Amino acid sequence: MLDTFIQGLFVVLEWQTFLVMLVGIFLGFWVGLLPGLGGTTTLALMLPFIYKMTPVEAFAFLLGMHSVVSTTGDITSVLFGIPGEGTTAATILDGHAMAKKGEAGRALGAALMSSLIGALIGAFALALSIPIVRPLVLTFGAPELFMLAVVGIAFISSLSGEGGRALLRGVLAGLLGLLFALVGQDPQAGVQRFTFGQLYLWGGLDLVPVLVGLFAIPEIVDLAVRGTSIAGELPPENLGKGVWVGVKDTFVHLGLTVRCSLVGTFIGIMPGLGGGVAQWIAYGHAVQSARDSEERTGFGKGDVRGVLGPGAANNSKEGGSLIPTIAFGVPGSSSMAILLGAFFLQGISPGPDMLDKHLVLTFSMVWTMVVANIITVAVSLLFLNYLAKLTLIRGSVLIPFILFFSFIGAYTSNNHLGDLAVLLAFGFFGYLMIRCGWPRAPLVLGFVLGRIAENNFYISTIRYGSAWVGRPLVLVLIALTVIVLFFPLIRSKWQESTKGETQ
Amino acid sequence: MKKLTIIFFSLLVLVASVPSHAASVFEGKTITIVVGYKPGGGYDRYARLIAKHLPKYIPGSPAVIIQNMPGASSVIAANHLFNVAKPDGLTFGTFNNATVIAQLIKVEGVKFDLAKFLWLGSAASDAVVLTVRSDVPYKSAEDLRKAKQFVIGTTGPGSSTHDFPALLKEYAGFDFKLVPGYSSSADVMLAIERKEVDGRAGSYDSIKPFMDRGLVRPILRNRTSAPGIEKLPVDENLATSQKGKIVMAVNAVPTQIYRPFVAPPATPKDVMKVLRDAFANALKDKELLAEAEKGKMTIDYTSSEDALKVVAEVLAQPPDIVQELAKHIKFGD
Amino acid sequence: MKALVSLRFILGFAAACIAGYALYASLHWPFKTALFPRVIGFPLLLLALIEMALSIWGVEKEREGHAVDFELTTAVEPALAQKRTLLICTWIIGFLALIIAFGFPLAVPIFVFAYLRIAGREPLTLSFVLTLVSWIFMEGVFDRFLHIPFPEGWILGLWR
Repeated sequence: MLDTFIQGLFVVLEWQTFLVMLVGIFLGFWVGLLPGLGGTTTLALMLPFIYKMTPVEAFAFLLGMHSVVSTTGDITSVLFGIPGEGTTAATILDGHAMAKKGEAGRALGAALMSSLIGALIGAFALALSIPIVRPLVLTFGAPELFMLAVVGIAFISSLSGEGGRALLRGVLAGLLGLLFALVGQDPQAGVQRFTFGQLYLWGGLDLVPVLVGLFAIPEIVDLAVRGTSIAGELPPENLGKGVWVGVKDTFVHLGLTVRCSLVGTFIGIMPGLGGGVAQWIAYGHAVQSARDSEERTGFGKGDVRGVLGPGAANNSKEGGSLIPTIAFGVPGSSSMAILLGAFFLQGISPGPDMLDKHLVLTFSMVWTMVVANIITVAVSLLFLNYLAKLTLIRGSVLIPFILFFSFIGAYTSNNHLGDLAVLLAFGFFGYLMIRCGWPRAPLVLGFVLGRIAENNFYISTIRYGSAWVGRPLVLVLIALTVIVLFFPLIRSKWQESTKGETQ
Repeated sequence: MKKLTIIFFSLLVLVASVPSHAASVFEGKTITIVVGYKPGGGYDRYARLIAKHLPKYIPGSPAVIIQNMPGASSVIAANHLFNVAKPDGLTFGTFNNATVIAQLIKVEGVKFDLAKFLWLGSAASDAVVLTVRSDVPYKSAEDLRKAKQFVIGTTGPGSSTHDFPALLKEYAGFDFKLVPGYSSSADVMLAIERKEVDGRAGSYDSIKPFMDRGLVRPILRNRTSAPGIEKLPVDENLATSQKGKIVMAVNAVPTQIYRPFVAPPATPKDVMKVLRDAFANALKDKELLAEAEKGKMTIDYTSSEDALKVVAEVLAQPPDIVQELAKHIKFGD
Repeated sequence: MKALVSLRFILGFAAACIAGYALYASLHWPFKTALFPRVIGFPLLLLALIEMALSIWGVEKEREGHAVDFELTTAVEPALAQKRTLLICTWIIGFLALIIAFGFPLAVPIFVFAYLRIAGREPLTLSFVLTLVSWIFMEGVFDRFLHIPFPEGWILGLWR
């Protein structure tokens, strides 16, 4: 096994493969950076180009492109507050807040380094899990997936903030998110729910217009009100040097980074959970790692840990989502579905063969993700300082472009004006939420998990009656839900008791 | 004699100018194929394959590009092609074959008439099969009928994964327990491996890799056949009533025109002829067939006349059949 | 302070309305379809009503109930902030109006130029250059390269 593992690396480093991988990286770099160029769409557009390539070259190209998108997507999130991809929105909360404090360099350094670590962990998880992958995925059935969604929803308590009123609003936001997730045709009876006769809404609300509206629009309003550059009136000393501080931060908080990478990988492995979930749960976990309530309120306002968590998770989940794709032929995300098409084009049937006959190819894919991310992060670090300086440009020049990219980013979800309507509706709503102190993260969490919860609930009940509640893994997850739900309470009680001791 | 020569040469010039008129329509222009789904899906891949090879067969060799207009299971794209797209021969499109059912059961929002579209034809037909996990004790359709509460995973009403077994349950006496809600048909395959569900119905093309792998075994098919499954019993033949047989047939018939390509209703006749011929020839093109083979895409051309016959057959159903159909079939993904 | 309180009330009220509508719509649905909307809608309605009540009668301490989220800047005085907020909202809606009127590809350069000159009072040359950049991006990448379909502007439709 080990020699096949090493062989995978050498195969990637052969000059033809390396060259196509570089082309892929170059493409992926811009796709992640620019809103409106979706990673999934571009993958689909690149499929015709792989006809003439060997399997290793084809996947070096496609994966080289795809694994880099989550890395550079974080850059746009940090600098401008626009989620370029659905998977990089969580980085906006603290990343862009840091940019507004003049710490753009630090945020970028942290985002990139955590992305690299996330990608490495995700890739090696893919390699290491090969013996256990089949039993692992097969153990998690619909009841367990439902419970995982519930655990995710329980993170709302951590993402709400301090005090009963904040929790009330967090739950309100979460419930609203869950409700918004139900728009569209229901899979039980085929009834159109909340579509108001609009064809556009039949498939439900798309993630990207909602995210761009919720996050980018309020930032734009705030920027216009401030009348300054993104970095504000603060002296720009921190800007350039900050990059290495950010990189160091990743290692200072290595435990958190690694934990969030593992969370991301795990969520990626579970097919059906979707790409948008991992970053938010990682963010929730990062908030939980705050030592006291005062620290917790610092999140959303520029705590570097809020960048490290999602930054790592949205990369590690890529390695994770490759696993069910390769091992079962079941795509772990929509981009993986495209990649599956690539498998067929190359005449390969993903499944047990990949862990056996085509093991070298599988390992070459692991190494592609590793090498591609190392190259991208190394290159980006070189001119991150210049990127950070963009936050010094005055707002009135940036705003039309940020609006342009927000609009086009939303529009390319469905190539429909409805995308823009959703963008503005959620933009307006997001602004109101911030004005009134309602946290947005719980809404997003409810939104990405709503359907998964409902569908798996029904699959579990129809299939197993009520017996599924007693399954061992389900009971473990119920316990986990309770822990996550009451975590802030447990933490503060524990702190009170330790404070009492020292007095 | 001189008059005859003049007439002869004028006719010659006239005849020669017809193709050049067509050439002038397409020369230097761009043809747009509207696809009712996002990039990467089946309809998109077929469109891109055809877009690649079509210019060879159109005089003037225009560029052919794809525009994706997803939404409402491609009803948005179909509406656009019918009402908004310019009928100058530079636009045509492809969308869900089940839109004919949507039109039949009068789904709200349908603003097109498939019989009025000008058809280029269909690029493929698709058999729908019902498969069960290989280790399940039922080897034939008759066996399966005896099973109690046999669990079948589906993605929800509106997709063939759901409708095909739903009709079998209603009209052929199969005791199926339908479990809808899986996010994609591939997830159902995973559920089968997990033994969470025991069978899945759906498009033969998409199930074939799993059949080849030995995970599932086919039991039944609908009337559209494909190499390798010809011998399977057809669902209509297992129906216990005449009404059931007809409903199954109406549901099955659109799969013969699984990848429809149509142009807006007012497209000029001579331009349509060029497009139709080009479409038919492109689907015979050696390179296209080789690429399709590699990408595991079946190519199985249906002409526009035959396609319209299929559409007419579906739309001509009497109201009681339509009502019956609407009870069990929803339109969706 | 009073303005803020009433805004909180409005948001709570909006949430209550959404919940109310969901519950109402679910009345006509089969059980399975209605279950989740009701399970979510009832608590939502209840909590929204509580939030509404709290925002009228409760006392919100300064800085209590910090959300895990950013806060709008307080560095600018409220009257000016209000004016700028309304202004930027008008521009955003104006952009949408331009897109509907002229189609996306034309609306982008028009908007960029208009914003830079009117709202930004930027010099003419800079505005031209930046508008050109935006237009090249729009046409080059999204129109010519990706072939994204853009509906024709309403005004061009009239002209035809």
